[in-house]
Amino acid sequence: MSQFIFKMPDLGEGTVDAEIVAWHTKPGDVVTEDQLIVEVMTDKAAVEVPAPVSGRVVSVTGAPGDKIAVGSPLIVFELADGSAGVAAAAPAATLRPAPALPPAPTPPPAAAPPPAAAPPPAAARPPRPAPFEATGTAAQAVAAVAPAVSAAAPMRQGRVMTSPANRRRAREAGIDLASVAGSGPGGRILRADLESSALRDAVADTAHTTEIKVIGLRRLIAERMSEAKRTIPHFAYVEEVDVTELESLRMHLNHSRPKESGSLSYLPLVVMALTRVLESFPQCNVLYDAARGVLVRHRAMHVGIATQTPDGLKVPVVRNAHTLGLWELAAEIRRLAERARSNKATREELVGSTITVTSLGKLGGIASTPIINAPEVAIIGLNKAVERPVVHQGAVVVRRIMNLSSSFDHRFVDGYDAAAMIQALKERLEHPATIFIPTVKAP
Amino acid sequence: MASMNMIQALNSAMDIMLGKDPSVVLMGEDIGYFGGVFRATEGLQRKYGEHRVIDTPIAEGGIVATAIGMSINGLRPVAEIQFADYIYPGFDQIVSELARIRYRSAGDFFAPVTIRTPCGGGIRGGQTHSQSPEGIFTHVSGIKVVMPSNPFDAKGLLITCIEDDDPVVFFEPKRLYNGPFDGDPNKPAVPWSTHAKGQVDEGYYKVPLGKADIVRAGTAVSIITYGTMVHVAAAAAAAMSVDAEIIDLRSLVPLDVDTICTSVKKTGRCVVAHEATRFSGFGAEILSIVQEECFWDLEAPIMRVTGWDTPYPHAFEWEYFPGQARVQAALKAVLEPA
Repeated sequence: MSQFIFKMPDLGEGTVDAEIVAWHTKPGDVVTEDQLIVEVMTDKAAVEVPAPVSGRVVSVTGAPGDKIAVGSPLIVFELADGSAGVAAAAPAATLRPAPALPPAPTPPPAAAPPPAAAPPPAAARPPRPAPFEATGTAAQAVAAVAPAVSAAAPMRQGRVMTSPANRRRAREAGIDLASVAGSGPGGRILRADLESSALRDAVADTAHTTEIKVIGLRRLIAERMSEAKRTIPHFAYVEEVDVTELESLRMHLNHSRPKESGSLSYLPLVVMALTRVLESFPQCNVLYDAARGVLVRHRAMHVGIATQTPDGLKVPVVRNAHTLGLWELAAEIRRLAERARSNKATREELVGSTITVTSLGKLGGIASTPIINAPEVAIIGLNKAVERPVVHQGAVVVRRIMNLSSSFDHRFVDGYDAAAMIQALKERLEHPATIFIPTVKAP
Repeated sequence: MASMNMIQALNSAMDIMLGKDPSVVLMGEDIGYFGGVFRATEGLQRKYGEHRVIDTPIAEGGIVATAIGMSINGLRPVAEIQFADYIYPGFDQIVSELARIRYRSAGDFFAPVTIRTPCGGGIRGGQTHSQSPEGIFTHVSGIKVVMPSNPFDAKGLLITCIEDDDPVVFFEPKRLYNGPFDGDPNKPAVPWSTHAKGQVDEGYYKVPLGKADIVRAGTAVSIITYGTMVHVAAAAAAAMSVDAEIIDLRSLVPLDVDTICTSVKKTGRCVVAHEATRFSGFGAEILSIVQEECFWDLEAPIMRVTGWDTPYPHAFEWEYFPGQARVQAALKAVLEPA
């Protein structure tokens, strides 16, 4: 028997750690190669990690919510006899150990013949086994194999230590003893520990509450929102837009297209208008590199679309939105939203936006103050389009009005420019034909 | 009320019962003419005659067997076994006959026998005059087992036992005969006249079986004990300023489970103390009951303070006797923050 230590792989683009989202295996399970073993999350995408080998799971490291550094042991497998002692010597470039290598018929320890590329000393079963890694470069599997390594992975803690009376108190107060830190001998939970815990929880009345760990996507959202709100001086700007004409164009297009191509919402029209406007307002299509103190202006317009999913807010990205036609935009937005909602979006589809559009659709309300999707410097919010009595050409008439609620990073976008940008957008949206006319560059 | 030591209180109980009930007879070695080695029956043969207070041969099996026969035939014998250490020749009679008469005869016969016997150490008696074998008898179904800790209870309990229609083994902690003993052999002896429970009603009264006495109410820990250890435990707790609730069981069978459990549920901590050896001792039974009934109220493991699991030594009596220091060590352990 030998063991195979699978380490947290580099999931691409130099991630330093990944958060465990869910384990699909546990110690004692027998898994086969390529079977899903764990879901992890990097700073944007969820990744399903398959088993690199077949074997029995000895131990796993980290609970959902824990961040595991790339390269640190994630899971230890016990391999069937004969496969790994040899596999340990797999060449460094191999992604996975080659379990197919024939087991040497009881070779003398020092003479275990490794394949040519392998460094012999490590393969020759040292008396004190040292981990021997085979490093891969791809995102899939960085495998390390060690002959009979007494692998890391601390075993699960034993029972919580406390008196029966404290167990009863905890039960009656709805306190999970596992969540209470014990200050007594050997970590025993004392009544005082319980009472301070109960006091803490009393505010929340734990007997009638449910605790949800802030992990995974929610933690990511929380961190990013806090960071953006804390560091960016938001400048909010609300303008109303007469979308009567836009609405009639939208209705016309929806009627003139076959149903199966999907109905057109305001979103692609607004995104398209935005890409036109941004050509004149490059200071809004910017990523701020705080570390270097540099504003990076992007010629390409990668428009993030804030999307509600069952897991929470995600922002899939329409790449090169300025190059897409209206129907392409509509289709891409629909495709990305669907992938985000079904948790299928790749990391690449979830990163790299240069500006973000957020729309709550029918829930859009009158005005909102969206939080900028840092390191971007602007976010455009769509409110609900409703028919209102307005004065139009000297008469009170019913017009369809939609507000745009936008936020700008006031450090880098002056109020004047922000207002001018929204006014330009308003112009385009109120005269829909102009959406389709390229910006006339100043001479 | 009169000031009595435990011997006088027991004497008074037997005196009253001999006078009250013509079926009561006393029997035992040296109890008649001599008045008993501890003087418990002094004067009673003179007062009631040789047919009521009977000197027997040195034959404990015979004493018990004769008492059984007398009891089945309508008498109410009070047999004295001079030391509990000598009760074993009568053990077969007690276990095989006395304990089962009522059961074996389907209730046609019963055996109202009381066997009095001095027990316990602290009197330089060595291994043949110091034993506490109560646990051997509590294990036998059909026998009641009683052990008083003071003159007042001794008299009231003995009267109750004599009037009881079923057999009782009545253990008398001999170190308490002449005064309460707190476990310190170096202190001058204290007479019962200084103790509230040394004040004894001269007339007829009963102390019920199966009703423990809360010697001292407290909130920090329950000390469940009986016999000599009642006084040792009280002194040990007082010296530590521990607010202990001290419970004197008085009768082991029947056992006052309610009082024990009410107390432990209140304090959450429990120490059981007896002079007898530890392994399979009566304390183990109390621990089991407390664990079964009070588990979810326990703040700490239950501790036992007992004699060592050896014969009672002569030379190292005070190393053997579970004195205050051992009670205090147990109290310290159960009173750790939990």
